This record gives sequence, C-alpha cells and structure tokens, in this order.
Amino acid sequence: MSKEFSVVGPKVYATIRTGIPVLGDLKITETLVVTWIVMLIITGLCIFLTRDLKMENISKRQAFAEMLVEMGNNFVRNNTGSTKFDKLIPFVSALFVTSVVSNLISLTGLRSPTADLSTEAAWALVVFTMITATKIKTNGFGGYLKGFTTPIAVMTPFNILSELATPVSMACRHFGNILSGVVIDGLIYWALGLASAALLGLIPGAVGDFLSKIPILGVGLPAITGVYFDWFSGCMQAFIFCMLTVMYIANAAEEG
Amino acid sequence: MGIKALLAVTAENQALVTVNFWTLILQICNLFIQVFLIKKFLFKPINNILEKRQNLADKAIKEAREAKEEADSLKDQYESSLTKAHSEAAQIVSDAQKEAQTKADALVQDAQKEAADIKARAAADIEQEKKKAINEAKDEIGGLAMDIAGKVVEKEINENDHKKLIEDFISKVGA
Amino acid sequence: MGDFQVLAKGIALAGCGIGAGCALIAGIGPGIGEGTAVSKALEAIGRQPECKSDVTSTMLLGCAVAETTGIYGFVTGLLLIFVAPGMFMNYLN
Repeated sequence: MSKEFSVVGPKVYATIRTGIPVLGDLKITETLVVTWIVMLIITGLCIFLTRDLKMENISKRQAFAEMLVEMGNNFVRNNTGSTKFDKLIPFVSALFVTSVVSNLISLTGLRSPTADLSTEAAWALVVFTMITATKIKTNGFGGYLKGFTTPIAVMTPFNILSELATPVSMACRHFGNILSGVVIDGLIYWALGLASAALLGLIPGAVGDFLSKIPILGVGLPAITGVYFDWFSGCMQAFIFCMLTVMYIANAAEEG
Repeated sequence: MGIKALLAVTAENQALVTVNFWTLILQICNLFIQVFLIKKFLFKPINNILEKRQNLADKAIKEAREAKEEADSLKDQYESSLTKAHSEAAQIVSDAQKEAQTKADALVQDAQKEAADIKARAAADIEQEKKKAINEAKDEIGGLAMDIAGKVVEKEINENDHKKLIEDFISKVGA
Repeated sequence: MGDFQVLAKGIALAGCGIGAGCALIAGIGPGIGEGTAVSKALEAIGRQPECKSDVTSTMLLGCAVAETTGIYGFVTGLLLIFVAPGMFMNYLN
C-alpha cells in the first residue's frame, strides 16, 4: 500500500500509431476494454432473457424481459407525452442500460468506463446531434438559425453558449458524479489500508510485516459508502442522463 | 517498419480528466453497436411476441363478441317465437272458448225451442184430448140420456115433458 | 534547479491548492438548494402523505440535477489537485 494517495486516469494498454498528425495515436485504454466487457454482458443478458419466448405460460425470465421493454416504452412515452418518439426507445434504453452497467461494474473492481470523460462526451455529442437534427427537422434550417436570435438579436451569443452548454453540462454531470465515487472510494481504501497497516504493524517480527501489507480493514466499510456512490449515484445519473435526452429531444420537436 | 512500430504495449495512465479523440469516436461507435444489439436481441423478439399476444387477445375478444352476438340473436329469436307461441295459444284458447260458447248457446237455444215445441204440442194434445173427452162425454151423456129418456118414456110421459127434459139435461151437461 | 524555478513551482502549487479550495465553495449552493428542496418535499409529504412515492422520486431527481453545480466545483477541484500541478511541473522543468 503506497503511502501517497493519487487518483489516476484509465490505464493505456496499447497504443496504435495511426500517423495522423492532429488526432494522435489510437490508444486502447481501460475505458474501451471495459466498455466492450459491458457490451458483452448486456448482449449476453439480452440473449439469455429472450431465449425460447412463448405466447402463453411465460417463464419468469420472459416476464422480466417484457417488463424491461414495457419500462423502456413507458419511460419514453410518459416523458414525451406521445408515441411519436417511439424510434428513440431502443436508443434511450441502450444508453440507460450501458450507463447503469458501466457505473455498477466498478463494484467488481474494474474501472468504470463512465469515469472517463471521453465516454460521456461521446454520448453527449450523439445526443446533441440528435437534438440539433430534430430542431432542424421541425423548424427547417432557417428556422433553426432564427431560433438563436430570440427574443432579440443581441441575445445570439448567449443563446449559442446555452446551446453548447447542454452537452457539456450533461457530460460533466454524469462524469463528475462517477468520478467523485471513484475518488472517494479510492480515498477510503487508501485510508483503511493505512489504518490496517498501522494496526497490524504493531505485531512484531515478520508476521507483522506480512500482515500489515493486507488492508484487512478494507473489507466491509466501503460497501456502505458504495451504496450511495456506486448504486444510488450510478443509477440516478444514468436515469437523469436518459431523462434529459428524452426531454431535450421532445422539446426540440416542438415548433417555435 | 514492423508491427512494433505500429503497435506499442504500454503501462502508462491516461490523464484523469481529458477527452481522447479516438476513445470518443470508438465510444460513439460502441453506443450505436449497443443500440443495434439491444434492438436485435431484446426489442425485436419481445415486441414480436407482445404483438402476437396482442393479436391473440384481440382475436379472442372478437370471437367472444361474435359468440355473444350470436347468442343474443338466438335469444331474441327464441323470445319472439315464444311470444308468438303464447299469443297463438291464447288465440286458440279464445277461439275454442268462443266456439264452445256458440255451440253451447246453440244447444241451449235448440233445447229451449224443442222444449217450447214439446210444450206447445203437449198443450195442443191436451186441448185435443180435452175436446175429445168432452165430445165423448157428450156422446156418452147423450146416449145415457137416451137410455134414461127411453126408460122415462116407458113410464108415460108426455111429449112436451120429454123434450124439455132432454134439452134441459143437455144444456146442463154441456155447460 | 534554480531558485526562481523552485519559487515558480511553489507559487504554482500554492495557486492550485488555493484554487481547489475556492472551487469547493461551489458545494454551498447545492447544499442550500437541496436542503430547500428536501424541506419543501417534506412539507408536501406532510400535507399529502399519499403522494409520498411521487414526491420522493421527483425530489431525488431534482436534487441530482441541483447537485450538478457542486459536481462541477468538485471536478474543478480535482483537476486543480491532480492534473494542473503535473502540467505546471512539466512546463516549468
């Protein structure tokens, strides 16, 4: 256990030299690897849940899968108040489930992909593109540009700023919450490691040296803080991200 | 320029807060792949089965409604035929009653007429018999009177007394 | 390493530390805001106990959104503590 505490970014496992000057090298980071694991888990779960579907006498597994689909449908339909955004349902569901599983995978000791700003930035960029596309589709390109000058032309820079603030705030909100969980978990493990090293270091001889390397106090207590920082925060942020996505897109589809 | 120049295995850490362009691009791709996978493996089969079940339920409801309509129409039919039968029965009964009444009336009338006839005939008979009897009685009385007169005559009676006596007698008897 | 370099590093580190401390003042806002939200939610629950679940979920959502500014402050603080000093050190070397 190191005496100094530091929080570091995700590990870079490999670097592929692309030779593109500005964009830099393609780095295979922990974020990407864990994202692939998350995707495998979700897809495996989907395949498992939808195995041998029946019309009648359904199994608990099928009932659960149907409940998930109904929940996704209801989430989008209730928050938009209509069924014209049904095309969004798979996207929002995928976003939600990826976010939740990514947030909760930190419980297994892996690093959450959502503790890397790139992930949230990617999601927010997609959402921002969808919002803008919906706005242009609703009002036309001229109407979209005109929307920036409301209520008066002087407000244009502020409108542009607030428009750009949407994806930034979405990404930073999610990232900050997850990162705070990572940092606080790290701090707690570090402090408990120090405490157990100090405690077990009191035992003289080689036994004490050996035992003091095991952070024995790290068992149990982090689980309690984990309830808030991993479970609550993780699920809540995923929910809020999806909620805001749906709301922004529903708002963008309104004329005006 | 081997594979080593292209690919380097590293053990460094990325900065804590940074946006890596390639990670961003790959994460966007990952998100869309995830959307596709979740659509294909969760939404498609489940929506399929839900739709099928919906159709099944719709069909069952439709069938039930049709069966109910059929039953209703049958019921109406039965009810109307029952009402018809009732009215027919009532008609028959009333017809029979009327007929019976007519017949009874006719019978009574006939009987009354007959009785009246019989009575009239009987009265006529009686009258006739009475006349006959009176006549017979008159004849007999006449004969008797003759006999008596013969006997009286035998006892010397004048013709005047004789005649007067007979007439007197007859008139008395005829009265 | 010259004296000026040491001095410059010291100033940079001090700036980072002070900045991080200032950034965490941002925690006050969400604290007050969430406190208000929760107190209002409690009032609402007291008035209409049958709406407890609705009020609670909406309140949690609102709190999580209100917490955003605090989280921005936190992220800024983290940047100043863990990222910025490294950048300055690299620059000053």
